[in-house]
Amino acid sequence: MHHDKKFAVVNPSKMCQPMGAVQALLGVKNTMPLIHGSQGCSTYMRFQLIRHFREPIEVASTSMNEKTVIYGGEFNLMKALKNITEKQSPDMIVVTSSCLTETIGDDMAGIIEKFKDANLDNELPVIIPVSTPSYVESHVEGYNRTIKALVEHLATPSVPNGKINIITGNISPADCKQVKDLLYQLNCDSIILTDTSENLDAPLTEETLSLYNEGTSIEEIEDTANSLGTISLSKHVDSAAIFLEKKFGVKSISGPLPLGFENTDQFVTSVCELGDLEIPESVEKDRGRLLDAMVDAHSYNFHRKVAIFGDPDFVSGMTRFTSELGMIPSVVCTGTESERFTEDVKLISKEKGINPVILAGGDLFDMHQAIKKAGADILIGNAYGASTAKEENIPLLRVGFPIFDRLGAQRISVLGYKGSIEFVDKITNTLLDFYYDEAGYEIVDEKTEEILREEGDEGFEEDFMSKEEI
Amino acid sequence: MEPVIETFESRKKHMCVKGEGLSIPVCDKASLPGTVTQRTCVFGGARIVLMPITDSIHLVHGPIGCAACTWDIRGSKSSREELYKKGCSTDLQEKDIVFGGEKKLFETVLELYNIYKPGAIFVYATCVSGVIGDDIKAVCKKSEDLTGCRVIPVQSEGFQDHNKTKGHWIGGDALLDYVIGTKEPEETTPFDINIVGEFNVAGDLWGIKPLLEEMGVNIISTISGDSHADEIAQAHRAKLNIVQCQKSSNYVARKMEKKYGIPFIKVNFFGLEQTTNSLREIADFFGDEEMIDRTEKIIERELMGVEDETQEYRERLEGKTVALYVGGNKAWSLVRAFEEVGMDVMMSGTKNGIKEDYERIKETVRDGTIIVDDANSTELARLLKKYKPNLLISGAKEKYISLKLGIPFCDFNHDRISAFAGFKGFVSFAKEVDASVSSPVFNLASKTLSKVSKTPKVGGDENAS
Ligand code: SF4
Repeated sequence: MHHDKKFAVVNPSKMCQPMGAVQALLGVKNTMPLIHGSQGCSTYMRFQLIRHFREPIEVASTSMNEKTVIYGGEFNLMKALKNITEKQSPDMIVVTSSCLTETIGDDMAGIIEKFKDANLDNELPVIIPVSTPSYVESHVEGYNRTIKALVEHLATPSVPNGKINIITGNISPADCKQVKDLLYQLNCDSIILTDTSENLDAPLTEETLSLYNEGTSIEEIEDTANSLGTISLSKHVDSAAIFLEKKFGVKSISGPLPLGFENTDQFVTSVCELGDLEIPESVEKDRGRLLDAMVDAHSYNFHRKVAIFGDPDFVSGMTRFTSELGMIPSVVCTGTESERFTEDVKLISKEKGINPVILAGGDLFDMHQAIKKAGADILIGNAYGASTAKEENIPLLRVGFPIFDRLGAQRISVLGYKGSIEFVDKITNTLLDFYYDEAGYEIVDEKTEEILREEGDEGFEEDFMSKEEI
Repeated sequence: MEPVIETFESRKKHMCVKGEGLSIPVCDKASLPGTVTQRTCVFGGARIVLMPITDSIHLVHGPIGCAACTWDIRGSKSSREELYKKGCSTDLQEKDIVFGGEKKLFETVLELYNIYKPGAIFVYATCVSGVIGDDIKAVCKKSEDLTGCRVIPVQSEGFQDHNKTKGHWIGGDALLDYVIGTKEPEETTPFDINIVGEFNVAGDLWGIKPLLEEMGVNIISTISGDSHADEIAQAHRAKLNIVQCQKSSNYVARKMEKKYGIPFIKVNFFGLEQTTNSLREIADFFGDEEMIDRTEKIIERELMGVEDETQEYRERLEGKTVALYVGGNKAWSLVRAFEEVGMDVMMSGTKNGIKEDYERIKETVRDGTIIVDDANSTELARLLKKYKPNLLISGAKEKYISLKLGIPFCDFNHDRISAFAGFKGFVSFAKEVDASVSSPVFNLASKTLSKVSKTPKVGGDENAS
């Protein structure tokens, strides 16, 4: 049954701006994110982040309530800044607004100035406000605005540093590590905005309970004004890069997310051009290994229909990569309304000769309806896809955020040649598990089986032989 | 008096030790701004008591954020519909904030009705819908008149109160005002009851229901685990309410007593003694000889196996200590169950306790037990480090604080995987507790390879800075 749905969101495939802000801040060293709003929001976000990363995560709240809403949030925000400064002494506090404080029109920048004036004698952390109203766009934009705010407040020109700034967007800690490793192989000095690789995949020690002592430092963010260029892995988070280009002449390159073969090639090319670097043999080898993995897997993946959902650049990157593998993206869905996304996917579709249903600003209900029509053999996305996959009786390959029903979300990587290799193996094995029997034969439904049987045993014999020879 | 742990001056009185000085901690105060509170909001409180109604649509009227992190998070199981698991939102946009969201809400309700034809549509107010002043009551009325489907306003603006208990009450009010008493049962028996405050987390209800049915009790409705709106509508005809989660649901029971004259008794199906007592109390209430007989037989039969089945676990757990830091009810209802597996409850606390909750805790725990109110994450870490319990019972947000300190942890909240209620539940309870406390991985936890413990650097690091 199909229903028109224009107003309701059913099973959202996006989150709100403050969530994106927090995601960005988890990669900044010794920094406390403070959500200026009611306490519920920050607790729910923490809940979501904690069950995904399986790490303790600190997000403070100004804990507004009915009374404070009437008089404005000044008292609570001042108090919060004071308490955090005294008890946690972070290097930086980043204050993000919420739907509540945006609606009542709190002037966060003004309140922060007031706080600073009242504390002239005390040593204060850097305090940066970011406007992240939850009722505008999605978490992707919250991430974007936060990186921009950090750079706007901190970037200071001094001497050229020969580095490349990388704005990662919301990727897994493992992917952050993949990108760093690739840059290391390329001999490229970089500043990662922001580096979650250690903070969100930490060893079992008590130290992880205090504020993060790993991640991007304030000095590094200051130094972004002196870099050779900025590469925004996700096109939707490039505002900081554009700012750096306009203000300090730091060249900006937007995307694509180095996911799969062609996109990683493009990333490596961008890095080498910006940094005037040679491609080392080790990178060529990894590239070759990815190709090898793709060739090994090709017959299992060929023409399998795939539905993909998640953040816009992840989905468009995955659309390209699965096409490279010979699969057919049939439905691609992102919760964020974005022209850029739609254009990207259209371009890929033309190039690859595919024709997926494109949902930009769609929810999982829309996606499910589209899958019913267009069909899919496998679904790629976060844990919220589980019920759709179950109903359609197809496997769900979990990538993205949040993943709370399986372990190791922080260690899932799909970026760079190496991450892509991991992905090829994983998707192919998932298909093998689901569509092939224990001996590696494709499981066919009864009807097809009958036809095959009618064709005689000869074919079977031959098949069997060739299998044995392998 | 020495403070329980170091913290803000104003927070010190939120912790105490039974038998020394303060008899119960200061509680029910707003969290300090700037701390990492473990509390949720009034909307969350309301949503949590209503969401287990499985045949209903739960529509959050607000920006996407309120719904995005809260849909499908309560591990309530359903034996029938899956509708309650859908995450529905009006996804308010900037223009709705400026011009009001009532029209959008109305259209959304109609749309959802047309797609799903649910048993009811619950419409939750959030901070923003409250601030912009949307009249959700009027919209609900209008759409109910149009569709004939129950459309129920839940006035749960998140910021109303620092305590989500208020949200539980608001959720309860929605049922009292719009659902209970709106339908007559086809048949009634002298033994009709409602199970109030049982949300069927991990299937707890299914450990209790068969016992009650075998006793000869007729369950009209569960409020609200695994229930349908239509069943709750008939709840006013019960002869007795039994209240499991007293933290969230005493309120509803009291109001039903006032409005419909239904008496209620507090029950507790966690632990053997508590389960036994609860069943007996129900039978005694009805005073029916046959039922009392049957109940005794059930208890005898059920208890028989349990001793053997739990022996292995009890041996390993004997003398181990446990700290409880939970939403409310479990701060007292689990104490006996832990004692029955041989463990010692050395700390008990809640995130949202009110005075009556702490009285309750105080009655239950032994002298010397630490009682804590609304510990923020730093305080919790300090408590764990200082008192080193063998196990922490808490929710998902506290889990990794505990684990990173090398302290075993059990989630008895959203992510709980097995049912703990009733006799069979007790066996699973002992098993799961044992699985955490006795796992060898925690013996390895504090060991480092080299004398100086350093976190190893990854490949790119030397290069990155
Ligand atoms: S905006 Fe208000 S109602 Fe929504 S989650 Fe935050 S605190 Fe709760």
